Amino acid sequence: MIWIARRVGVSLALIWVVASIVFLALHVVPGDPAELLLSAGGSAPDPATVADLREKLGLDRPLLTQYASFFQGLAHADLGTSLVDDYPVTDEIARRLPRTLELIAAATLLSLLMAIPTGTYAALHRGGLFDRLMSGSAALLLAVPVFVVGTLLVLVLAQTLHIMPAGGYVPWAQSPAQHLVLLVMPALAIAQGLTAVLFRMTRASVLDVLSKDFVRTARAKGIAPARILARHVLRNALTPVLTVLGLHMGALLGGTVLVEYVFNWPGLSTPLLNAVDARDYPMVMGIVLTISTLFLLINLAMDLLYAVLDPRIRTG
Amino acid sequence: MKRAILPGGVVVVILLLAVLAPWLGLPDPVRQDVAHRLTGPITGHLLGRDEFGRDVLSRLIWGARTSLVVAFASAAIAGVLGTILGLIGGWFRGIGAMLAVRSMDVVLCFPPILLALLIVTLLGPGAGTLIMMLSLLFLPGFARVTYAEVLSARRHEYVEAVRALGATSPRILARTILPNVAGPVLVQLSLAVAAAVALESGLSFLGLGVVPPAPSWGLMIRGARATMEQAPLLLLWPCAALTVTILAMNLLCDAVRDAADPRGHPAAARPRVIDRLLPGLAPPANPDLVLEMQGLTVEIATPRGPIRPVRDVSLGVRAGETLAIVGESGSGKSITATAIMGLLPAAAQPVAGHIWFAERDLLILPEPALRKLRGGAMAMVFQDPMSSLNPVLRIGEQIGEAIRAHTPALGAAARRTRARSLLQRVGIADPDQRLTAYPHEMSGGMRQRVMIAMALANSPRLIIADEPTTALDVTVQAQILDLLADLKRDTGTAMIFISHSLGVVGEIADRVAVMYAGHIVEQGPAAAVFAKPLHPYTKALLDAAPDSDAMPTGIPGIVPSPHHLPAGCSFAPRCARAIDACAATAPPLEPATPDRLVRCLRWASA
Repeated sequence: MIWIARRVGVSLALIWVVASIVFLALHVVPGDPAELLLSAGGSAPDPATVADLREKLGLDRPLLTQYASFFQGLAHADLGTSLVDDYPVTDEIARRLPRTLELIAAATLLSLLMAIPTGTYAALHRGGLFDRLMSGSAALLLAVPVFVVGTLLVLVLAQTLHIMPAGGYVPWAQSPAQHLVLLVMPALAIAQGLTAVLFRMTRASVLDVLSKDFVRTARAKGIAPARILARHVLRNALTPVLTVLGLHMGALLGGTVLVEYVFNWPGLSTPLLNAVDARDYPMVMGIVLTISTLFLLINLAMDLLYAVLDPRIRTG
Repeated sequence: MKRAILPGGVVVVILLLAVLAPWLGLPDPVRQDVAHRLTGPITGHLLGRDEFGRDVLSRLIWGARTSLVVAFASAAIAGVLGTILGLIGGWFRGIGAMLAVRSMDVVLCFPPILLALLIVTLLGPGAGTLIMMLSLLFLPGFARVTYAEVLSARRHEYVEAVRALGATSPRILARTILPNVAGPVLVQLSLAVAAAVALESGLSFLGLGVVPPAPSWGLMIRGARATMEQAPLLLLWPCAALTVTILAMNLLCDAVRDAADPRGHPAAARPRVIDRLLPGLAPPANPDLVLEMQGLTVEIATPRGPIRPVRDVSLGVRAGETLAIVGESGSGKSITATAIMGLLPAAAQPVAGHIWFAERDLLILPEPALRKLRGGAMAMVFQDPMSSLNPVLRIGEQIGEAIRAHTPALGAAARRTRARSLLQRVGIADPDQRLTAYPHEMSGGMRQRVMIAMALANSPRLIIADEPTTALDVTVQAQILDLLADLKRDTGTAMIFISHSLGVVGEIADRVAVMYAGHIVEQGPAAAVFAKPLHPYTKALLDAAPDSDAMPTGIPGIVPSPHHLPAGCSFAPRCARAIDACAATAPPLEPATPDRLVRCLRWASA
């Protein structure tokens, strides 16, 4: 219990640190933040506009006051309004976050379903044809950037073979089948890199556990191979796989931004990229903060799951 | 290193193309020619022209230049700064230094692309911004790796020695520690370059990295997406370039890392040489024996050729008798034991001999039948009880599954009762609490008792104990030996007890087999062997034991490598009594008295 409380505390502290960095980043950059956000293409911005923006962002107040009111806003789920159209940032995120989450969940599930059975099989038949084939493919998949996979999927499946739509989004309520069809390609594109990583980790981890003394003990007890695999090998081998999954969630969340763009998936990516382009700092800040918090929470969940799987963590 | 040649070659070619781009006579990569947009390959434009009529080949090669400049610059900056930070942090340790290194980890709380987008918002897109943000992203990796290496390097004795000699900190860091850190930092560097190429292209693809019209693979893919239908090849070229570059870098990195960490890969299992079609041609010679091993030879395929760690070993054990196998590490005693259980690693194969148990030859018994015997009629206790128990399962489950594997009909409640009485039997005071405990919650002696309880679970006729007390405290050792002796007396089980310690063997063994370099060199009743050893090696072992009145004397030399066994007697190079004939003739194992065997040319003159 103490362990769990401590781990949750660390996560909360990290979220605070991340929020502070996102807030401070604007002030760390040399020069006047308002001028900085308005300057484009080297031309000096209009002083009146700069003064307006400064007032709007509260940049004319002392830094500490700004910091306090930023966290006050966070406490009320208020991330400010967009500089472009005055739309509340929180509303925009609330509307689009579920779609991004769905994509991430689908991709993670897909990766686990593909990587764990193949990784285990490859380890059990190490050096065999399947192992060599899969290890080779994993090396290739690791090398293809996520947006290249996405673009090539569109080129081959949609443009050339016409068996998949090139992208887009249909709400579940409108047509569940259509919704799922449109989910497949972006989820596959995101899952690709993670699958390769998890395949390698599962394979290495299963091989490692297979060489452990307690597996020899289990064999010496005359336990059936299937039961040794399920009770002794996988249970121990999957914990490092989980850790790697948590660590690679960062790359996965980043990959989502690219893939949503490639497939016109209306998640957080579109407002984020538009905001970066328009230097709409409140919107960028809100979305980056949301996704980073998500990343930290996912890792917290992984660690808690880890403790369930491995009793040594709880007492250690 | 053979694996590094192909990817290394590809990386070198790409680097050369990028460096030499201005001198290759390529068309201007940014000059537009809208009249000839999307034209196919012609002379002078090998890969055709893009949507603005620019030469694709030229843009590909100049794009490599952009990508690699950004990647190498950011990796180099992060590498230098991170290494310095890690060196200083690791050397001066202190809270402040640790915080400085650790605070870099905050960068790892952000998904990389998102931190990059945050920075682009503030600084605007461009190559300068890219280099800055990529260095920031890679900085913590370098700082961490260096920090950890310095912490471990400063514990090395030569570093301590240089410090004691009064060298200054910067000098020690530069001359002594930096070379140690270089390997991991280089691996990190190559990882960073590959990651930087991927990130740069991703951001350029989003239109937030390299600013058009500068050539970049990411920008080329972004541009070609619009004309995908008319000119799919335009999309394929930069995709291929990007993938091949990252793949070659990854493979090169893997090969270099593997070369730095040479853990040999064991060869795949080979089919048994023993003729499976003619079992039982040589039936057991002695029906009184619970187990009889005849001429067992085990071969292991190693990268340096096959070795035979067990050669022509014959032994037997009766019910209620304890046979001790004694020898130094590498004598083949543990392999002999695992061969009985059929638990040899895949690379090791029995190539000759028979192991008779319950009137069947274990060496040719199919795996399912062998599995029924393992943990049932024959059981094994291993050396290290901590690693031999599964850390994530409760003790009760681990004993329970041993029972269940051989008596599947038994219900859960009956299994629990039996597990409980087994724990009582091996002297565990509070069996009910212990059944729900995990291995890490118990002491070493307690864990070994659990291992013994597991071995007893199905009333075996043979127990093989492989150095069961070596990993334990001296006081606990005595308790475990007493327990094993009690059990043998009560149950009449045959026991094979493997140990390198003659003192331990003297307490428990009825008969002793001494092994050296894969051979049995002497065998006989324990009392007789201890009183009057016939083989010089046995004598040397006894002299080396610390419990005699005289000062223990060591045995000169080491066990010969199984790759280079002496032609004659294996022990001759270390033997004080060796004569010329010993180096030339391999002695046979011959009977010295009716119940003693010895493998020595000169035993009679002992």
